[in-house]
Amino acid sequence: MAARELAAAVAAAQQQREKDKDKDKDGDQVVAAVDGLYLLRLREQIKQQFLEYSAVADAGTPAAADDAAREMSVLNAIEDCKKDIEKEKASFWNKTLALQRIQLMAAVRDQMKLNDNDSQLLLKTLQDIVRLSQAVVAYQQQARVKEQKVTDIKRQRLLLKEVGRQKLMQIHDMNKLKEEQTTGKMKMLEEMHNDYKKEKNLTTVIQNLFQAIIIGSRVNWAEDPYLKAIVLQLEKNI
Amino acid sequence: MAVLRPFDKLPVLNTASLLLVGSDQRLQQELAQAIVKEKKSSNISIHLATSLPLSSERDHLRPRIDLIVFMIDIKNKYSLKNVKASLAHVAASFFLGKVCFLVTGVGRVNYCSVEINSIWKLGEVYCSPVLFCELELEGIRVATAQRLLRMLQICAGHVPGVSALSFSFLLRSSN
Repeated sequence: MAARELAAAVAAAQQQREKDKDKDKDGDQVVAAVDGLYLLRLREQIKQQFLEYSAVADAGTPAAADDAAREMSVLNAIEDCKKDIEKEKASFWNKTLALQRIQLMAAVRDQMKLNDNDSQLLLKTLQDIVRLSQAVVAYQQQARVKEQKVTDIKRQRLLLKEVGRQKLMQIHDMNKLKEEQTTGKMKMLEEMHNDYKKEKNLTTVIQNLFQAIIIGSRVNWAEDPYLKAIVLQLEKNI
Repeated sequence: MAVLRPFDKLPVLNTASLLLVGSDQRLQQELAQAIVKEKKSSNISIHLATSLPLSSERDHLRPRIDLIVFMIDIKNKYSLKNVKASLAHVAASFFLGKVCFLVTGVGRVNYCSVEINSIWKLGEVYCSPVLFCELELEGIRVATAQRLLRMLQICAGHVPGVSALSFSFLLRSSN
């Protein structure tokens, strides 16, 4: 069918050319020379259009699977494609950056090789850059060493705090023990005191009783030395 | 037929068809003439319309439409509404690179009455490129005509190796 169309087109173009030979409209109609180039161009056109139509036809015939699964797979494919695009963009930017840096260094190198007037400034700047970066590296090293020392000291302080806390706990426990002991002792002392008081009262009562018996019995105790000693002793300690 | 479909008809040999949809007739005429004046190797036929759907009486006479250009005038809110209403009558497979939005009148910033954001969103939603131009100036008109002509040739399949879809991907901003 394409060949027939092509033949028709060739015939039409020849007719057109004969018609437009004397009236020359500029740009409204293309006066095509029917030669190999024109045919080749038409062939390329037809090939491209055929490609498009076959793509559309392929896309148009759906595989009769269920829509949900197909949609899910399509969505997953879309997500994967998006992730790939992001990755490609990132790598592209990185490569551009690296490329630009290489270009810059090459330009600087060429400039320095080229003329010695401006390159003095370049050289000085580069030397300054090198010096400063060396200083930066040295300072960073020192900073790292100092940080290490600081962390060591902090660790030691932490350990000491821990030890101190333990010691305090020990002291606290010991204090509690001592208090308990003393209170125990005190309790004992109190009990003993109470007992002693009771005994004392008892003895006083018994002494008063003896006194009362002796005086009440109207015995002349001054004569008997034994009774006298008893009464005097009773007088003494009450 | 109420809906325009891209691949319903067979293409005519060595011919590309462009459809301009917009509310300003005079600008459409000027642009069409500028396109026709360009040097080209195939026949171009330009159809002008104010809105879709196209009348179905002359449908059998119409060739296959390769590229639809929606013209939006930035000074006229009605043109945007018109374009949005016409977009419903275009089949979805047209938007795979065969539709372009052309915003005219950008030379006069003071008379903008359409928001640029809405136009960008329109382009994003329909996955189509948005071109800005000022058709009153001769130079820009010629440049726009050249751009549209090149797009038309690609959409009609006259450029081997480049399809409308791949070209539209090239035109997308890489953000």
